[in-house]
Amino acid sequence: MGVAVNEFILPSFLNLLDPLNIFLMIAGLAGGIVVGALPGLTATMGVALMVPVTFSMDPTNGLVMLGAIYVGAIYGGANSAILVCTPGTPSSVATTFDGWPLCQSGRADEGLYTSLLSSSFGGIIGSFFLLFLAAPLAEGALNFGASENFWLCLFGLSTIAVMSADNMGKGLVSGAVGMLVSTVGLDPNSGIPRFTFGIYEMVQGVAVIPCMIGLFSFSQVLFLIGSQRQHIAEYHPRKGTFGMIFRYLATKCKVVLMRSSIMGTLIGILPGAGGEIASIICYNESKRWDKDPARYGKGCIEGVASSESANNAVIGGSMIPMLTLGIPGSAVAAVLMGALLAHGLQPGFKIFTATGELTYTFIASQFAVNLLMIPVGFLLCKCMARLLNLELSIVAIAIVVLAYIGAYAISNSMVDLWMVVLFGVIGFLGAMVGWDAGAMALGVILGPMIEENLGSCLQLAQAADGGLMTVMAGGYINKGLIFALILSLLTPFLLKWKNARKNKTCDKGATNA
Amino acid sequence: MRMFKLLPLLVASMLLTLSVNTTFAADYPSKQINMIMAFSAGGSSDVQARIMEKYWNKYSNQRWTFIYKTGAGGALGFAEIARAKPDGYTIGGLNMPHIVLQKLGQNAQFDPKTSFAYICQVVNDPQCIAVKKGSPFKSVKDIMDYAKANPGKLTVGMSGKLSGHGLMFLDFKKKYPEAKFADVYYKGAAEQNVALLGGEVMMIFGNLNDVMRATDQMDVLAMASETRNPFLPNVPTLKELGYDIVSDIRRCFAAPAGIGKKELTYLRDTFRKICNDPDYLADMKKAGQPAEYMDGPDFEAYVKSQYGKAEKALSDAGMLKK
Repeated sequence: MGVAVNEFILPSFLNLLDPLNIFLMIAGLAGGIVVGALPGLTATMGVALMVPVTFSMDPTNGLVMLGAIYVGAIYGGANSAILVCTPGTPSSVATTFDGWPLCQSGRADEGLYTSLLSSSFGGIIGSFFLLFLAAPLAEGALNFGASENFWLCLFGLSTIAVMSADNMGKGLVSGAVGMLVSTVGLDPNSGIPRFTFGIYEMVQGVAVIPCMIGLFSFSQVLFLIGSQRQHIAEYHPRKGTFGMIFRYLATKCKVVLMRSSIMGTLIGILPGAGGEIASIICYNESKRWDKDPARYGKGCIEGVASSESANNAVIGGSMIPMLTLGIPGSAVAAVLMGALLAHGLQPGFKIFTATGELTYTFIASQFAVNLLMIPVGFLLCKCMARLLNLELSIVAIAIVVLAYIGAYAISNSMVDLWMVVLFGVIGFLGAMVGWDAGAMALGVILGPMIEENLGSCLQLAQAADGGLMTVMAGGYINKGLIFALILSLLTPFLLKWKNARKNKTCDKGATNA
Repeated sequence: MRMFKLLPLLVASMLLTLSVNTTFAADYPSKQINMIMAFSAGGSSDVQARIMEKYWNKYSNQRWTFIYKTGAGGALGFAEIARAKPDGYTIGGLNMPHIVLQKLGQNAQFDPKTSFAYICQVVNDPQCIAVKKGSPFKSVKDIMDYAKANPGKLTVGMSGKLSGHGLMFLDFKKKYPEAKFADVYYKGAAEQNVALLGGEVMMIFGNLNDVMRATDQMDVLAMASETRNPFLPNVPTLKELGYDIVSDIRRCFAAPAGIGKKELTYLRDTFRKICNDPDYLADMKKAGQPAEYMDGPDFEAYVKSQYGKAEKALSDAGMLKK
């Protein structure tokens, strides 16, 4: 390590002072934040669109810029999640849980600054792991096979139980409907089309992003138009909010931020799981371990902080197996790997020595980007918050137009536009009877992963000596995950029991007095 | 009065512009060409097409506009190419054996035998048999011996059942029924590589392009190609080892069927020039793309021959879509 410090790390930080690199980082961040904030334009798409542009650049400059776009886009998704209850990228679904209530209660600026500072913090923790612990963590990630991923996804899905603790039945039904929706299309294990109702375009299944745009943003627009409001929400920015949030995060949220960032990094390393799962699991854990879990979902700073620090920590994590093993840890990392290969760079442990200067410059740029994000993001989120001052009718139209463009841009398919409308209506009507859009989105996102991994497990079981049980429950990781899953499912009952006991003692106290 | 004098002039000038237009149209291509990609931006197919684009601009005065029409393992994009107007201004990338398997197994909305005018093949990415470094299997013979001695215990990782890997597995099963493997399917090359390196499966059928990225952790025991590949010249072919298995993924470019002869000739000529450009070949090598050129008519014959073989293999396995 000492050799690497002298040989690569110091020069690579100096490389960043190159004005071109600084310009590319700022431009990449700003572009990424805008792409991330627009519903439908995801981090994956933003990075992919810029890959060909880097072909005419020096590989170092190109990678620095792509990395900045990635960071910007994952953070940017929080802005629309907070301001219009529309996750700009699938990674910020969990940000809507507390970000939107914050916005509705006129505290949008608190939510925006929380997401900015937590994203930056999470990103730095992720980069730290990438710089110092890449090799051992990559080896560890290889122990995550089909069964481990299956349990992890189920654990993610069990969030529904905690998320809708007051009405678990409706949460579970929503999640189940989401999973049912995710079975439309090609069977991931045999490749045979299912539930396409004779419409050939349906073989691609229900794409996650159009479905989410429908559930969250289109239904939100329907709801807003139906209300008699003039604006999306009251917005009274106060002076000193930024400093107040900074102090709050630095004192009261230390544990939440640290736990979410570390868990986010670790989940990012897993090839099967990315920011969408990390943010939900970390949100869930913050809620579970909080002294007063009932605050969550009602506009709680910790909720936004855990989801946003987790999804930005995923970035550093997802690059660990990509750089060391040639196995991307997320969809965006896969695109970045394509860019590496197109520049003639072969991933592998050699990448830290043979092309060490480039690799370390890239990693160093991740630190710089996460710091630069604070001023860049601060300016942009101030602009975006103005949205709340616009008249509702204009904002509503703008959201629908952007949602449509975003949904269409994903695969140039008209079917996706109909999906937006369909799920918009489902989300709108569902909300009236108490369906949970978050739980349904979880089902749609996690359904295919659960099915793929279960399929692989069943196939592996043919060859295993003890059959399915050895495959599914063998090994410490599987046992640990199953235990965590059971605990997670029991949480609502434990909470109820705890509350009941507390009330009892209170009542007792009251009568005694 | 003056108007009458002007009228013939006007008509004449209009005719002139019209004729200019027609001569202009004769100079194909006179506008940008749409390039339909059935896989997402930044993926392996896209990287290859982007390298190609660089050299297309060297030989042609018109550029490409990339259109990404993704989903269903490429089937939706392929169908879009088949449905496009055959005026020479929409072409796209196709993958073999995907187009054949999607038609046979999923009722895809195109027919590889009649829907496309093939321009040329650009990549031939053979399947490799790879094991983790330090595995007890040192050769294909070790694998076959183990599979015979322990039927159904040797796990093989592949990506997708209706895929080149799945087809190779069916071929193996049919030709060497005495060796029984346990087939395990993953979503893609990344998941498959993790499964091998993490010890979940004992070997994989992986494409050269994917296993090459991990040669410091994997041993490639054999390649299912006709001849040895310059990327890994020390790896023997299965044929050399006495196993008659050839299996690969190929990428080609195609226009919708019904395209004019002149346009098709222009496209085929330009692509041939690109494929013989030494700088292009150097770029392809750098990106780890196993380039192999085959001209349009030969490729069409290849598709037809593979169609017959795949139909037989799938119907034997009961996987044919009625």
